[in-house]
Amino acid sequence: MNKLVKLFITSISAITLALVSFSSSFAKVEGDYIVLGSAISLTGKYSSNGVHTQNGYNMAVERINKMGGVEVQGKKYKFEIIYYDDESNPKRAAQLAERLIKQDGVHYMLGPYSSGLTKAIAPVTEKYKIPMVEANGASRSLFTKGYKYLFAVLSPANQYLEVAIDLAVEKNGGKGVRIAQAFEQDAFSQDVRLGILDAAKRTGSEIIIDDKLPKELNDMAATLAKVKATKPDVLVVSGHTKGALTAIRQISEMKVDVPMLAMTHCDAAKLSKQHGKKSEYALCASQWHKNLSYKDKFFGGGKKYARDFQKEFGYDPPYQSAESSAALLVFKDAFERANSFDRDAVRDALVDTEMQTFYGNIKFGPGGQNIAKPMILFQVRCKGDDCENRVVAPTKWASDKFYHPIPKWSERS
Amino acid sequence: MNKVKQKDLILYSGLIILGLAAPYLFSAFKVQLTYLCVLIVLAMTWNLQGGEMGYNTFGNILFYGLGMYLTASVQVGMFFPLAEWTESGGEKTFVHTTAQYFQGIGVGLLVSAIIPAIVAGAIGYAILGLRGHYFAICTLGLGIAAGEIAGGIEIIGAGQGFTTPPFPAEIVDTEARGKFFYFLSFALLIGTFIFVKYIYGSRFKLILNAIRDNEDKAEAMGIQTMKYKITGWMCSAFFCGLAGGIMGGLIGYIDSTDVAFDGREMGVFMVLMAILGGKGTLWGPVIGATLFHFFKEGLWTLILGWQYVALGVLIVVIVIYFPEGLMGWLREKYPERFGEVIDEKDRKAQVELK
Repeated sequence: MNKLVKLFITSISAITLALVSFSSSFAKVEGDYIVLGSAISLTGKYSSNGVHTQNGYNMAVERINKMGGVEVQGKKYKFEIIYYDDESNPKRAAQLAERLIKQDGVHYMLGPYSSGLTKAIAPVTEKYKIPMVEANGASRSLFTKGYKYLFAVLSPANQYLEVAIDLAVEKNGGKGVRIAQAFEQDAFSQDVRLGILDAAKRTGSEIIIDDKLPKELNDMAATLAKVKATKPDVLVVSGHTKGALTAIRQISEMKVDVPMLAMTHCDAAKLSKQHGKKSEYALCASQWHKNLSYKDKFFGGGKKYARDFQKEFGYDPPYQSAESSAALLVFKDAFERANSFDRDAVRDALVDTEMQTFYGNIKFGPGGQNIAKPMILFQVRCKGDDCENRVVAPTKWASDKFYHPIPKWSERS
Repeated sequence: MNKVKQKDLILYSGLIILGLAAPYLFSAFKVQLTYLCVLIVLAMTWNLQGGEMGYNTFGNILFYGLGMYLTASVQVGMFFPLAEWTESGGEKTFVHTTAQYFQGIGVGLLVSAIIPAIVAGAIGYAILGLRGHYFAICTLGLGIAAGEIAGGIEIIGAGQGFTTPPFPAEIVDTEARGKFFYFLSFALLIGTFIFVKYIYGSRFKLILNAIRDNEDKAEAMGIQTMKYKITGWMCSAFFCGLAGGIMGGLIGYIDSTDVAFDGREMGVFMVLMAILGGKGTLWGPVIGATLFHFFKEGLWTLILGWQYVALGVLIVVIVIYFPEGLMGWLREKYPERFGEVIDEKDRKAQVELK
């Protein structure tokens, strides 16, 4: 027993020493580097979008550093990001945010992927008064909590598919339409749903199917069977990448005929590549498309960004990557205008942000959401076996006309 | 005997002092320390079922999640309309005053201890008749079902999740929140430990062991096994609910399947920690949870993206090399330290026979 106790005491004191020495962590600005922190979903159900986000961040960091970095008080600094994997789990994300701030001494945060995780991290950054620029948390409830240190470069989730309902009503001669909808049970998709409910009320449309889909989404046959039976005018599906893939797979398998199919996350799911012609005519909400005419001096325009991204990572950038890159441009701009590393000065500079990036105009509303940029809709169109996303709304950037209604499966080759 | 008691006293008071000093010594690690306390509580309460009673349950996560939702709901519902708080979109902002916050969490924790215990009693009455694998599979379903159901109840936020009340803004000290939750969880840990230790000295534990070793014989000896099984599970649920309540407040955001009824992580971790340390021992779950937490916090960030592979390897290693856990392994190596007397002569005689 005596030996055991001794061993126990020795190991406890060893751990104590190790922890105490580790506690004296490094700070927000280290030498020539401004250290940003981010918890990203590298594993778990959001892993593919997590990687898109990370690639977007990395691409911007590299580009900004290469083009001279950030100038504060006459000195050039470079960006550096500390990443942790939040495993697509809000609990873990909150814990890691705490860790980044308290142990790694991070004073500026970049957002995680998805609304749920942003919801978990925001209370932590708020508590420590850490400015966070996030690019992937669109849920409206994020912007109504009175958070002062949260800034989102993207439009709120409820705006994602409202336009689609408007389009459907327009095609229906201004009369209300019958809507079938299925949404994943998560913060983001449920917010998209709220947007549809609002739009339905506004246009006098009727919701005939309102289904919830489980989080680990890989089957929605039950909903589709109902759609087949009730023949709605519009089918709306939202459930991140998996939702988009599952919907297209099963709609084509079950040969569900519906005049209009509106979704989210088509580009992140690489629908046009993965499902080719089966995904044709799907209407998708997007924060960004490479054909838009916004410009900045770091990435040029959307098309150039897409080319560079393709070269670097080997795939076409989904909007998740573009908005993530934009987050760093916002930070750079804010640091230079604040001309200081004081957190509150940076925060105040962020409030006053008004800029154009390749991704879109950015100006923050009182809740922290971006109010300067509209959502866009694109439609998957195919020429032979080659499918592409074409912007169809808003008209300012539309490269193609919106194709409606979707031909029946029996008429599609 | 007295000497051992004295040693125990030194050990316990040392640990308590360390526990009280920890948030000041390692100020930056308060959240991890809070997690550690909660993990130990979960492992210890799981051990009552899986270790002592031999009923491997994956269902304790149900009580943990229930406690989490209950605490938050009570804390909000006492002062504001719950439905408006959780309404998605949430246009209105409600702010708890300092007094409301603490009153709320106090009452909430009380509820989160009692109701899970009652639920455990009711469910236990229904399913504790199952034995072995059947019971394990049945409880596995409990956590999953609860997650899906909670994800559909609008008043607790459904799929949107539930943002728990933020720590009162009137307390300016940014460290206060961390300290509050740490001491809360530390108090829970001490309470749980005292309770489990008390059980270890009681007839109740022997009955649980009898059920584990041979339930039919135990019944034949006149023990009403069902009654004891249910009571045992209710005790676990009581502490699991409290642990969940504390975690909900600490995390600040409750999601139905990822935070509350998180069977995939917490539900598996509590089993793993108890087995790692050695199930069916008092200190095993404590040591197991501590080691596991250090492993997780220390190594996981070094092997980004591969941590679950590492976890898998760890599970395999534990099962193959330490099937009885670390305590079991130590016990086999140094039986005399555990008060087991070995007759050297007899042992030698047996060796020679071979």
